[in-house]
Amino acid sequence: MKKKLLSVLLSTAMAASAFAGLGVTAAAEENEIYMFISSPEYADAINELIDAYKEVAPDVTINYETTQNDYPTLLKAKLNSGEVPDIFSSTSGKEIDVYREWSADLSDQPLAETMLPSVASSMQSTEEGSGIYGLAIKGNYFGIVYNKGIFEELGLEFPQTVEELTAACEKISEAGYKPFTSGFSEWWVFKHVWQHYLAAAATNADTTVAELVAKFESGEAKVADYPELYTNFFDFIDLVVKYGDDKPLETALENELAAFGSGEAAMVCGQGAWIEADALAIDPELQIGFNGYPVTDDPAQCQVISGSDQALRVYKDSESLQATLDFVNWWYTSEYGMDWFNNVAGVVPPVKTDAESEFEVIKQGSALEAEKGAAPLGVCYSTDSWHQVFGELMQAYVAGTADKDATCAAIEEQWAAIEGAQ
Amino acid sequence: MLKSKRKRKEMFDTVLYTLPAIILVTVMMYIPFVMSGYYSLTKWNGIAKDAEFIGLENFVTIFSKSKDFTNALLFTGKYTLLFIIFSNVLALFLAVCLTKKFKMANVLRGVFFIPYIMSMTIVGFIWKFIFTQGFAKLADMTGWAVWDFSWLGDPNLAFYSVVLVGVWQSLGFYIVLYIAGLQAVPSDVLEAATVDGATSRQRFFKVTLPLLGPSITTCIFMSLTNGLKVFDIILALTKGGPGGSTYSVTLQIYKEAFQNNNYGLGSAESIIYFLVVLIVTQVVLKFFSSREVEL
Repeated sequence: MKKKLLSVLLSTAMAASAFAGLGVTAAAEENEIYMFISSPEYADAINELIDAYKEVAPDVTINYETTQNDYPTLLKAKLNSGEVPDIFSSTSGKEIDVYREWSADLSDQPLAETMLPSVASSMQSTEEGSGIYGLAIKGNYFGIVYNKGIFEELGLEFPQTVEELTAACEKISEAGYKPFTSGFSEWWVFKHVWQHYLAAAATNADTTVAELVAKFESGEAKVADYPELYTNFFDFIDLVVKYGDDKPLETALENELAAFGSGEAAMVCGQGAWIEADALAIDPELQIGFNGYPVTDDPAQCQVISGSDQALRVYKDSESLQATLDFVNWWYTSEYGMDWFNNVAGVVPPVKTDAESEFEVIKQGSALEAEKGAAPLGVCYSTDSWHQVFGELMQAYVAGTADKDATCAAIEEQWAAIEGAQ
Repeated sequence: MLKSKRKRKEMFDTVLYTLPAIILVTVMMYIPFVMSGYYSLTKWNGIAKDAEFIGLENFVTIFSKSKDFTNALLFTGKYTLLFIIFSNVLALFLAVCLTKKFKMANVLRGVFFIPYIMSMTIVGFIWKFIFTQGFAKLADMTGWAVWDFSWLGDPNLAFYSVVLVGVWQSLGFYIVLYIAGLQAVPSDVLEAATVDGATSRQRFFKVTLPLLGPSITTCIFMSLTNGLKVFDIILALTKGGPGGSTYSVTLQIYKEAFQNNNYGLGSAESIIYFLVVLIVTQVVLKFFSSREVEL
């Protein structure tokens, strides 16, 4: 009898322990904020922010968790299991609508006042045409990061037109440097380059990037109708292949950094403000320059792109909604919070502030933006589902398995199939 | 009465002790399986609160709209075939060598087994480094064109790179299985063959190989399932690239469900693939077990 009792106890204990991990964590309190976001590169900075907030609101606990790997998949698992984070992240623009059911509209919050208009516009719902469904950790600059030292040594100005770019590549190549490092093994490098040409195509066709993207999604637009895309973009890719790495499709971000940081490559393709610190870590003496893409024959269209491609979302049905809103409002409106972007995180501030940055890319980017304006952030009008396919199509083009017309046809078809359906 | 009571008790114990395992397997495997069966009939992005029921439309879409899934099936088929052939032939060859009595045999067994205990992801990253940096150095040193090929950047070569790494990693496991099989071949039969005047080649093909039947079946079956399930090594090496040329079915399902936000479509793909794997493994298993011989 004793034995039987023991076995019953043992097996129930085993079965119970199997369930112990499930669903017990649900009892979140009103003053507990669960923050589950991507961008682990800012983990230290965010921990500092949380510590600073602890002094302002001592009874609020913020549980901060971050991951780089596979964030969207983990987030989906959490949403579907009912363990919804109070603050989670997505990309801005098109993905705003994908998660809109879950996230609070912040347009009536104090933080809407301080948020930069270019950031706020990428947080609005395209379906509703209004609302602010997220806030940014950082603004960002996209363009060509280049080695000023090499350009000065050869007496070159940074090229502003397509022709000048070709001539510059020739000259750099003759001097024994590698004009470009490509990064073509990363699918997202292509979307970063593409958006510059897309912006020029939209401007020259008297439309906006959002409308042009919508036309591609509905299958109306053809790549061949836009010379900025059909000719200039593909010519640029060819140019990078010609003057770039020996094995462009094996070159990833780390290889680009190595080639650029070691002073071997003059220009970096498809990157932006985020590579500066890592490049300086390789060579602190590196003279970093930053400029737009020479997309057409018009120097005025060689613009950098600014905006925010990341969005932090606030879960709207959270028990601790008020505490969460208080926290993000404090972040965007308090003095410490607004200085945090420059002083602690070292990013492009997504808020209206006068503070000066220490980073070359940000400094030159904002100077260029003030001088000749910035192109709109085109990447945020499409989801990464499409961008990934786009990257693969372009990789096939670089590999030579598909020619230009086949690639354009595939772009038109897949764009409409992936984005048009949603 | 007494007997049936004991039987009842045995029955009770059996159920009781297997219960935790059954619950776990049910919660982790069967319920998700049934659920993905349901989701395969819906249009759902994995995020929205409600899934829309659309019947069998997903299954039609998979084969009519795009070639991605069919291409992934072909890729996986080709990969599995090469993986089975190379891992088994090489493993058998090395196992025969390693059962010979020479000084380094035990050390070499360990050397071949080490890749197998490393995680696939790590192996993938190591090889990615070798392909990109290591080969470049070798090209500088030797000047041979073979190192200069873009092993991960060329869509055709990338396939063979993936096969190479897959075989390299799992070779040790099959070697161990074959060594065990080889040691179980009775030496008196081999001696009898020698006395009858068989050459060493004849001894291997006429005696050893047929007697290895059970080992071969096991190894073929294991390499078949491992080949069909290939995922992590591709994710670490090429991420399906370049230009989408190395998508295995598992990676394609993952892309569809989690990157393209088509959870319903991804579930439908996984259900189809489940049926394909079920049929293929059963056929192969039947075929090889029917050819085994016994002493």
